[in-house]
Amino acid sequence: MINLVYNEMIKIVRKKRLLIIAAIIAVLVALFTYAQLKRVQSIQEQLGTTDWRAQLQQQIIDTQNRLNSSGLSEEWRKFLQIRLQQQQYYLDHDINPSAPGAPTFMRMFAENSIDLFIPLMVMVIAADLVSSEASGGTIKLLLTRPVKRWKILLSKYIAMILSVSFILLSLGALSYLISGVVFGFSGWTLPLLTGFSVHGEELDTANVHLISQWKYLLMEFGLVWFVSLVVGTLTFMLSVLMRSTAAVMGIMLAALISGAILSTMVSSWESAKYLFMVNLRLTDYVSGMAPPINGMTLGFSMTVLAVWGLAALIISFIVFTKRDVY
Amino acid sequence: MTNGNATLVVKDLRKKIGKKEIIKGLSFELKKGEVFGFLGPNGAGKTTTIRMLVGLVKPTSGQILLCGYDLHREFSKAVRQIGCIVENPELYPYLTGWENLEHFVRMVPDIPKNRIKEVVELVGLQNRIHDRVSTYSLGMRQRLGIAQALLGKPKILILDEPTNGLDPVGIREMREFIRFLAEKEGLTVLVSSHLLSEIQLMCDRVAIMAKGEIIRIDTVEYLLAEQERVIWKVEPLEKAKALLEEETVIIGEEDGTLITHYDAEKVSLWNEKLVKAGIKVSEIHTKLPTLEDLFIELTEGETID
Amino acid sequence: MKVNVVKIIAALAIFSSGLWMAGLGLAIKDQFFYEASSPVKKISLENVAEEKEDGFHIVALGDSLTRGTGDESGKGYVGYVADELQTKTKQTIRVKNLAIKGQRSAGLVSQLQQIEVQRQIKQADIILMTIGGNDLFQSGEALSNFSLERMNQAKADYLRNLHTIFKTIRHLNPDAVVFYISLYNPFNDLTDAKTTSAVVREWNFQSAEAAANYPNIIAVPTFDLFELNVNDYLYSDKFHPNKEGYKLIGERVASLITFTEGDEKND
Repeated sequence: MINLVYNEMIKIVRKKRLLIIAAIIAVLVALFTYAQLKRVQSIQEQLGTTDWRAQLQQQIIDTQNRLNSSGLSEEWRKFLQIRLQQQQYYLDHDINPSAPGAPTFMRMFAENSIDLFIPLMVMVIAADLVSSEASGGTIKLLLTRPVKRWKILLSKYIAMILSVSFILLSLGALSYLISGVVFGFSGWTLPLLTGFSVHGEELDTANVHLISQWKYLLMEFGLVWFVSLVVGTLTFMLSVLMRSTAAVMGIMLAALISGAILSTMVSSWESAKYLFMVNLRLTDYVSGMAPPINGMTLGFSMTVLAVWGLAALIISFIVFTKRDVY
Repeated sequence: MTNGNATLVVKDLRKKIGKKEIIKGLSFELKKGEVFGFLGPNGAGKTTTIRMLVGLVKPTSGQILLCGYDLHREFSKAVRQIGCIVENPELYPYLTGWENLEHFVRMVPDIPKNRIKEVVELVGLQNRIHDRVSTYSLGMRQRLGIAQALLGKPKILILDEPTNGLDPVGIREMREFIRFLAEKEGLTVLVSSHLLSEIQLMCDRVAIMAKGEIIRIDTVEYLLAEQERVIWKVEPLEKAKALLEEETVIIGEEDGTLITHYDAEKVSLWNEKLVKAGIKVSEIHTKLPTLEDLFIELTEGETID
Repeated sequence: MKVNVVKIIAALAIFSSGLWMAGLGLAIKDQFFYEASSPVKKISLENVAEEKEDGFHIVALGDSLTRGTGDESGKGYVGYVADELQTKTKQTIRVKNLAIKGQRSAGLVSQLQQIEVQRQIKQADIILMTIGGNDLFQSGEALSNFSLERMNQAKADYLRNLHTIFKTIRHLNPDAVVFYISLYNPFNDLTDAKTTSAVVREWNFQSAEAAANYPNIIAVPTFDLFELNVNDYLYSDKFHPNKEGYKLIGERVASLITFTEGDEKND
């Protein structure tokens, strides 16, 4: 089995996919670092202060003013309401949610890329794992070895998991190193708040507690990993079902983008919460943002994702072991 | 029925896709050291049959035994006995030839390390083995394909269109190589080809398939001998034709000659009859038909691929 | 060579798989099985960090007027005051505008309970505020649907809140001068202008009386600024001032502030 997984890893590495992904991440991180720097500077300029408390207070006032203007959509109002309460909570407890530093940048980058960017990168790896063997004809060579088909597929699946882990590792490392040059490398032990839960328009703070940023980051990367595995498994299934890598990517792309659009406008379509793509923002539950649909919780979203992933995995194995290869 | 040195045994093999039966009960045996040809027009079921033999397609019913191991029940042991190229030798273009071979060695538990070197030398790829496959010519890929097929020291080699895309020199080399493997290494080789002349030159026995059935299996010599013709150069043609038609069937007529079946005992009698009737017989000779003629006759003029 | 790269990547991948799995486990443990033992402590004003940035601090409190609603440049009178003051001093003028649209006196009372707001007031050199407009014009619905009884009720509530506000500010920061900008009558050119003007004048008078109870709280009149040609100074909603209107208020407030050597202030 180790040999089989090693084979798959060689193929992934030699296709240079990981290198390309790392390069894309590096470019994006650099871009975001610059954007973040500009943002920090413009806030300071605009508010005439470098005091984070004053800045946060100003953001709260701005939000309150926005809430008092007419023409806000219901979802947006709710989102602002929750964020307002959270910001107030941070301020009341004298904790800076966005203290500058590479770990803070890492956290924000992970939070912002969990529902689209990271899944896209995972997709690039997973989309052609099986379909490229089918379209290249090499599947015939693989399946005429004295190895059971389920083992071959399992080795590919393990290789997918390993690649996903590696992508996240390089994401973490690159975002830390690149942003650290600008924002400094410290900030691992900063305290952060978690345990918020959202009930309607109210933020429930009964379970709120402090944890250090490194722990918070580890938790968030764990959740990002979980999301990536589910997206990877779904892509993997499509890769088993279809010969064309382009078709696999097309379908996944459509699903992921529709998810990003849907989650901003589904609050009135209750049953949309069973779609996997509106459940990708797991980190929002940790940081205490309002979910796209009322009643969605971390447990709910993880269950939905796990069910989708498991179903995809089962389908992949059944189809792959039963199928006639032409 | 199954004798001791049968390496590949197929019993009543059937495949249905939907309600349509595309392979309708094949049975045949291959012996050790034999090169066996598989012929058939497009859609005859040749490719499906080969894919069933190597485990890519699951038969609806029937049995395949490879060196005594049932392909269905003892997949790993059975597949361990074969090496194959199905259609084109598709390898990983972004790996070198050597890495491709390593890749396949890792998938089989008991291949010694120096086996790669052996097969590379056997197919004569020493000079280019560390280049990427994407830089290989079709002939080199074909040879690398053979090399990977031979890695596990198989007892049965199954080659789908092994000379496809090769130049005449390559075709001859391949043919000689296959004969070498069968004669010197004692492999059983199953070859499918659309080049009938190739099959004729390479194979000991031939199976001819049409519409999902094997319509003939025999040695090449026998199949051809059966179809031997006699060509008569006679004058006057019409009179000779009438006389010969009393005795046998005129198959053809061209350039002032008549063509009939060959019958060793009767040809002299027919000749005598013609001579007695005052016909000038200037030439009688026999002609072995090509497998192609035979093929067209057997499959009733269906085109081959 | 190449094989080594694969091995290194594989090793890193295995290591990170373990790491992320641990992270996922931690997330599950922390999010689902956390038992609130020691609630996070709220900060109090005493132990909040006391670093103060240099410069001249203006804190603006109140409603949409202080926010600057109606001024397309977004400055509002607070912005014009700051601009004006900047020409008079080398110190950096730092403005913290804490005004919220639609805020009433009761809202401001509770806003003043917030630690950070208190901290900023404490650090203020001057405080600008408007309040009461929403109490008068909306709560009483006074001017469109005049009811003396409701009007008086609204006024009584407002004045009680205003006292609380002044008291709180004075308690937090005894020194900063507070400029309480009083109301104008936006309905000055309507048919019942006489009645509405009387109401506003009375409201302003009571507010100024309240301010007079505290040291250094200045009630700045604006009624007169909008008495003539009111429509030239109003935004299209016929309620908030426009850019010109805010400039008038800003100039008036700025003219009251003078700098004495280095630090602040006023009279």
